[in-house]
Amino acid sequence: MKKLLTLLGAFLLLSSHSLFAQGIVSGKITDAKDGTPLSGISVKVKGSAIGTSTGGDGTFSLNVTENNVILEISGIGYLAKEVPASVGSDVAVSITKDVKALTEVVVTALGIKRAERGLGYSVSKVDPNILLQKSEPDVLKALEGKVAGVNIQQSQGTPGAATRITIRGDATFFGDAQPLIIVDGVPFSNDQITTTNQVSGGGAYSSGISDLDPNDIATLNILKGSAASALYGSRAANGVIIITTKSGSASRSRKGLEVTYSTSLAFEKVANLPDYQNQFGQGAYDVAGNGSNGSWGANFKNVDSIATYAAYAGYPGIGDSLPYQAYPNNVKDLFRTGHIYENSLNFSGGNEKTSFNSTVSYINHDGYVPNSNYDRANLSFGGYTKLDNGLNIRANFSYSKSNQLGSLFGEAQSNAPSSFARSLLLARSWNLEGLPSQDASGKPLSPLPTQFDNPFWADYHNTSATGETRTIVGIHLDYAIRKWLHADYQIGSNAMSLTRKEVIDIGSLAASGVGNITEENYTSEQIESNFILTFTPNIGNIFSFKLLGGQNVSQVKTTDLVNIGNDFITAGIYSLHNAASVTNNIDQFTLHRLIGLYADATLGFKNFAFIDLTARNDQSSTLSTSKNSYLYYGASGSLVFTDALKIKSDVLDFGKIRAGWAKVGADAQPYLTQNTFLLNPPILGQSSASNNVQSANADIGPEFTRETELGTQLSFFKRRISLDFTWYDKITDLLISPATTPASSGYIALIENLGKISNKGVEIDLGITPIRTKSFEWDIHGTFTHNENVVLSLTNGLTRLPLFGVLGGTNSINPYIEVGKPVGFLYGSKTVRDSLGNVLIDPQTGDMITSHTLGDIGDPNPKYKMGLDNTFVYKGFTLDILIDYTHGGQIYSESITNELGRGVTKDTQDRETSWIINGVYGDPTTEKPILTSGGQEIANTKRLATEDIYFFGGTGNEGTFATNAASEWNVYDATVWHLREVSLGYEIPKRFLGRLPIGSASLSVTGRNLWFFAPGVPKYTNFDPEQNSFGSTSTQGIELSSAPTTKRYGINLKVTF
Amino acid sequence: MIKRIIYYSVLLLATIGLGSCKKFLDTNTDPSNPTTVSVQQLLPTAESSLAGSLGISGSSAIGVSGFGQVLGVYVHQLTTREDPDQYGAPGSDFYLNDSWNTIYGGTETQTNGGVTYYQDVLQNLQVIITNATAQGNLKYRGIAKILKAYTYSEMVDLFGNVPYSQALQLQQGITNPKFDSGSVIYPQLFLMIDSGITDLQNTTALNPITPGADDIIYGGNVLNWVRAANTIKLKMLTQERLITNVTADVNALLTADTLISATDQSFILHYGTLGSSDNRNPGYADYYNSQKTNYISPWFYSILKGYDPRLFTGIKDPRVPYYFYNQSGPSTVTSNKTEYRDSGFISILFGTIGPNSAFLQDANQTLLGIYPVGGKYDQGDALPVTASSGTGAAPYRFLTYADVLYLEAELMEAGVIAGNPRTELQAAMTESFNQVDFVVGLDAPSQTVPKIVGSGPDTVYINNIMNYYDANPSQQMEIIMTEKWISAFGDCVDQYTDYRRTKFPVLFNPNDPTVCPGGFYQPPVNGDPTTPGPQAAVPVQLTRNYPLTLPFGQDELNANQNAPPQKTDPSTYKVFWLP
Repeated sequence: MKKLLTLLGAFLLLSSHSLFAQGIVSGKITDAKDGTPLSGISVKVKGSAIGTSTGGDGTFSLNVTENNVILEISGIGYLAKEVPASVGSDVAVSITKDVKALTEVVVTALGIKRAERGLGYSVSKVDPNILLQKSEPDVLKALEGKVAGVNIQQSQGTPGAATRITIRGDATFFGDAQPLIIVDGVPFSNDQITTTNQVSGGGAYSSGISDLDPNDIATLNILKGSAASALYGSRAANGVIIITTKSGSASRSRKGLEVTYSTSLAFEKVANLPDYQNQFGQGAYDVAGNGSNGSWGANFKNVDSIATYAAYAGYPGIGDSLPYQAYPNNVKDLFRTGHIYENSLNFSGGNEKTSFNSTVSYINHDGYVPNSNYDRANLSFGGYTKLDNGLNIRANFSYSKSNQLGSLFGEAQSNAPSSFARSLLLARSWNLEGLPSQDASGKPLSPLPTQFDNPFWADYHNTSATGETRTIVGIHLDYAIRKWLHADYQIGSNAMSLTRKEVIDIGSLAASGVGNITEENYTSEQIESNFILTFTPNIGNIFSFKLLGGQNVSQVKTTDLVNIGNDFITAGIYSLHNAASVTNNIDQFTLHRLIGLYADATLGFKNFAFIDLTARNDQSSTLSTSKNSYLYYGASGSLVFTDALKIKSDVLDFGKIRAGWAKVGADAQPYLTQNTFLLNPPILGQSSASNNVQSANADIGPEFTRETELGTQLSFFKRRISLDFTWYDKITDLLISPATTPASSGYIALIENLGKISNKGVEIDLGITPIRTKSFEWDIHGTFTHNENVVLSLTNGLTRLPLFGVLGGTNSINPYIEVGKPVGFLYGSKTVRDSLGNVLIDPQTGDMITSHTLGDIGDPNPKYKMGLDNTFVYKGFTLDILIDYTHGGQIYSESITNELGRGVTKDTQDRETSWIINGVYGDPTTEKPILTSGGQEIANTKRLATEDIYFFGGTGNEGTFATNAASEWNVYDATVWHLREVSLGYEIPKRFLGRLPIGSASLSVTGRNLWFFAPGVPKYTNFDPEQNSFGSTSTQGIELSSAPTTKRYGINLKVTF
Repeated sequence: MIKRIIYYSVLLLATIGLGSCKKFLDTNTDPSNPTTVSVQQLLPTAESSLAGSLGISGSSAIGVSGFGQVLGVYVHQLTTREDPDQYGAPGSDFYLNDSWNTIYGGTETQTNGGVTYYQDVLQNLQVIITNATAQGNLKYRGIAKILKAYTYSEMVDLFGNVPYSQALQLQQGITNPKFDSGSVIYPQLFLMIDSGITDLQNTTALNPITPGADDIIYGGNVLNWVRAANTIKLKMLTQERLITNVTADVNALLTADTLISATDQSFILHYGTLGSSDNRNPGYADYYNSQKTNYISPWFYSILKGYDPRLFTGIKDPRVPYYFYNQSGPSTVTSNKTEYRDSGFISILFGTIGPNSAFLQDANQTLLGIYPVGGKYDQGDALPVTASSGTGAAPYRFLTYADVLYLEAELMEAGVIAGNPRTELQAAMTESFNQVDFVVGLDAPSQTVPKIVGSGPDTVYINNIMNYYDANPSQQMEIIMTEKWISAFGDCVDQYTDYRRTKFPVLFNPNDPTVCPGGFYQPPVNGDPTTPGPQAAVPVQLTRNYPLTLPFGQDELNANQNAPPQKTDPSTYKVFWLP
């Protein structure tokens, strides 16, 4: 009988096949708001079992059995929609976000996808499309201003330069304060490999994340708090950025082949140069002179020519004198127009059981500084298949290769190889472009060869070239053992290899003029394995329950080899072979291992109340054997009170409150538990070693971070207004750091669990839609980030700790740690003041007295950051304008110091007068005010020339305001507005594409960093406080003659086939 | 790659599966750096770090910063625009602070070529003493004890009170060593030196290894170490003579006759030329750095030239071309105006507030010559220097045979011991000239450098000074100390001590109206042949009293809870050997 029925059924099917039409319905589903293609949207034929879901580009195709069908379109977080379609048609459907549900799915720790409503902590989901085609190859830089709670700090304006990201403040002293970045399940370090100390040289090094191809990113989620990230253990205290790539998330139900091609071209220039004065030329005290660094010389009206600079004396074609006139563009002419050219091709396809995704991208970035460029090729491939036995297998592979070339930087005043030593300070009468930049033997020539290497020469001869490859591979297996028991196993590796060649050529001021080559070969390999069992018993409709248990094994292995060759034998051959002496400087291997066991339980009630409990125990290889196993835990909960209280209101659509508390443990760097000797290069041919300057400590235990966060998510007026607010209070304790010990103890530092840091702050994410009509929509997205960082305690008796050594002496400035101050506050030289705050003046000279005691002179941490993104959509056009604002924070700028001290900008043009520094007379020795016999202070009346106000050329512990001043005067408020991004996009209507085999096409023009305004810096220096010399390292707020930021104009095209 | 992943997954799972987590995690031993090293490797580091910490170091030199960079200004052999000018170096002065750290706890530094060196004196010596004791290497232990005692004696001389009894014991749990009085430390140093001599002379010890080329001071010559040890004691006793009667102890040393008694027995640290690694004299840095750091003191120069109207007037010292190198000649036109010029000699003054003091003179100023730093012998060619102008191989002189003779002359002149100071001074000066030729020989210069001994002017000079000595009986101590000052040029630590003890040589004083009438110092009137008219007098000032010790290293004070407060006025803080 059964057989009969089956046959009958088959017959019916066949007959239906013959009776009714059969064919394909295809289409594309996009977001109604911004037109982005939506993936993973379910498309079903109403009244049948036929269905599929959209691919990465939003398209789908279905085999239907009727000519006309109704398609049911639904996706998490979107309003369901039904649309009619007929065989052969290609429907374009736009769907709208479900304003009420707010059931967005986010990726949380360990890649677990959860509905946002159930989270007791803040997670930001970043749409990867906002990172694409914005004339910005660096993922992190493209995030600036777009996410609340994230602090992004750029470094130099040359291609590939590092970007620093911190979330909820610095929670470490000497470790990496940047968040843990997980790409396809494997940690991805954003560390910067620093070959040469960036105080005295070194390149504008890149940081790890620059290897990542934005075109391959499928999802980007930022877990800001400890409650969210506790399952990751070590380093999660700094937040976690979880990225899944397209190749790492190839998913089922793909059909056919889809190809997306995007291309963009951008031009870049220096964002802004100072406004130079063009009245006075090289010289001093109004007298023209050809041996000065500064433009404090004669008025051009008064002098016609000047004796040829010593270096050019007798040079063929150059006479005894040179014109003494302004060369207004001499700085501008050092630079060129750079460009970024980017191409990316994405393929995706598959069938019900198998799918693949592949991205190939290439980017080429030529900077505005000659001979600076960065190029990167990315290739990634991922596949997914479901075996007949029910095992799902996903595998991914990605490879990136980048090359960075650029010149060297560093503190410009002392024998530096920096190509920027004088670039922004050229004496106004130097015609650098009109004079030879090198002599017959290839050595640099300039008006002042003992002071700087001619930038035209240095750009090409003092260089840092880095090649970096990164390979990420991963396999993910998952299997449903029972309906309620699921097993996942994931293992992946992220292997990076960097080779760098740094050259200082013969004739440079640096490296004794004999040439120097430094070669570094650095590799790191991270392996991460996770085995997870998920238990989801069916306990009815009222409660939901999920329990997850897992084991994690991770290993990080690094090797580092640095060889230094000194004194080139044959000019122009840049290899260690060609160096007269070669010294191995570093040969270091490190291995770090960790095993963790963790559990996570989630209990839900009626889909509006949730509680989440986590616990993890780690065993680390880097801690004291008695303290290397440590447990930590957390709890969080959320309540959708609009559902719980059954609030149905048009004013308040949705309301949720959340709270979380968690503790996270972290371990140490390898090899801090056992003392070793340091090996020296040979001393007079004798192999030599030295006692370590830093003492190990066999008793090192884990660090712990405890964080409380409270937040709410509200939506008003049918989601015309949405607000996400978070407050957090994070305390990190027992920080593992080298505690300064008095040298007389035999060591200058002892590794200890020594300090405590507090970070408190708020994050606000605000969305407003002032206008929404059928054809026009205006959206405002605002972000606000405020963090207050303060050191709560240091180990018994320690008052302060230097974080990094930058500059000493009378111009001392260094980042320090001190109780009651933010991490990395600027500690440096100050002018002496009396009890009323008047500066003390040396009566002999009229200069200010610099104190022998250093003090707090600045905080590099911004008070708050804001981003304001306005999006206007009209028909196919989208206009997007992003402004961001950084309030407060301070920066020590050597560029500004020197621009003022050398008298090149209009700030110092007013010279026809003399000045009195407001202050009272003091004694430079006692640092006390000088009093009259009546006990009165004496006001300063000593007049100084403008040059003396900005350039102190005297001796001893005195100074004025810029060059050689107490460092406090060279610290400026870093408040800055940026017009970060303007883009105008146009989705080309299908009818224009005609019969071309193109599914969709969009065209956009972008402008990046078009304008900025920094009210806190001297007006004509046009300095962008975003500049920084120390890349993604923890040294922030210090700028040493770095390359200015850039502005870009780009055009972008994206087509899908 | 996939294979590797599978391999690792199997490995990881297997490891964990077997429950051998412990082994898997037992990986925290650094495979790249040793936990023990031989005393042979520590000795060259300790010796070179000590010389570097005491000497002149220029800027961005061979990873070294030395007290000499400050003291060169304090004893008026160098001038600078930096904080040592007007005796203003604070405890945070880079050279002072860093040298303190190098002596005690170690520093990590980089050479001009970017190579990292680790410097450390006392802690390395401490490890040598401990390890040598365990291994029966008493020769190493003896050398280490003598160096340790010498180092502490110099620290007491410079700072007064320093950490001693509780120092170098972090591993024993002492993180904040107290400061001990110099008067308590000194007697223990004599005992330490004696104990070092005993170790060196021990004939029964096993001594599985004996020092050789790794001893970059004496090449393992035990007898010379004994001589150095006794000479250090002689120097320390001489320094104590103002507060105690040292006659018996000094006579005992002289009778034993194991002092440094020949030029090549001198206690010096050898430097090398640029070879497989950079071991040049740190003070040579100004030859390869385009931006120069050290000016020659015009006061020192004018005394050598016989310009000083009060002392040695008209007596020209033939050592000038060995001591200084003029990058400029009489007719060289400088790009910037000069402050103090005497034909090719260009410098700036101590305490200057003159309008031309801040101008760059990198390619024109006069530099340290072949004798102090292994620079260039001045044959009058007047060329801007380069890295290859000299060799940089001049040694650092801790204590030389000439120093012994000057010490003896002083003791005789002061009546501490019997003897004729005149004869001793003459012998000392003769030895000073020998020393110049000796150092030039060690420098291995590529130029042809004439020998100064026997050249004629050497004898003329010595005779002139002896005549001056005879003619000015009231100035005899001043003459002895001034000649010692000239002889020791470049090695400034003991000169600073000698000045504080004897007040000689007379140093430049901007506040002395006979030297600087109206606060102005007059350079040689016709010293600048390239600019018409007389050379302008330079306004100078001095607002501080002479510092009787140096301020403590600021890092030490910042970190050490048992440290005394910083000296507010170093001119009032004296060492115990001053009455």
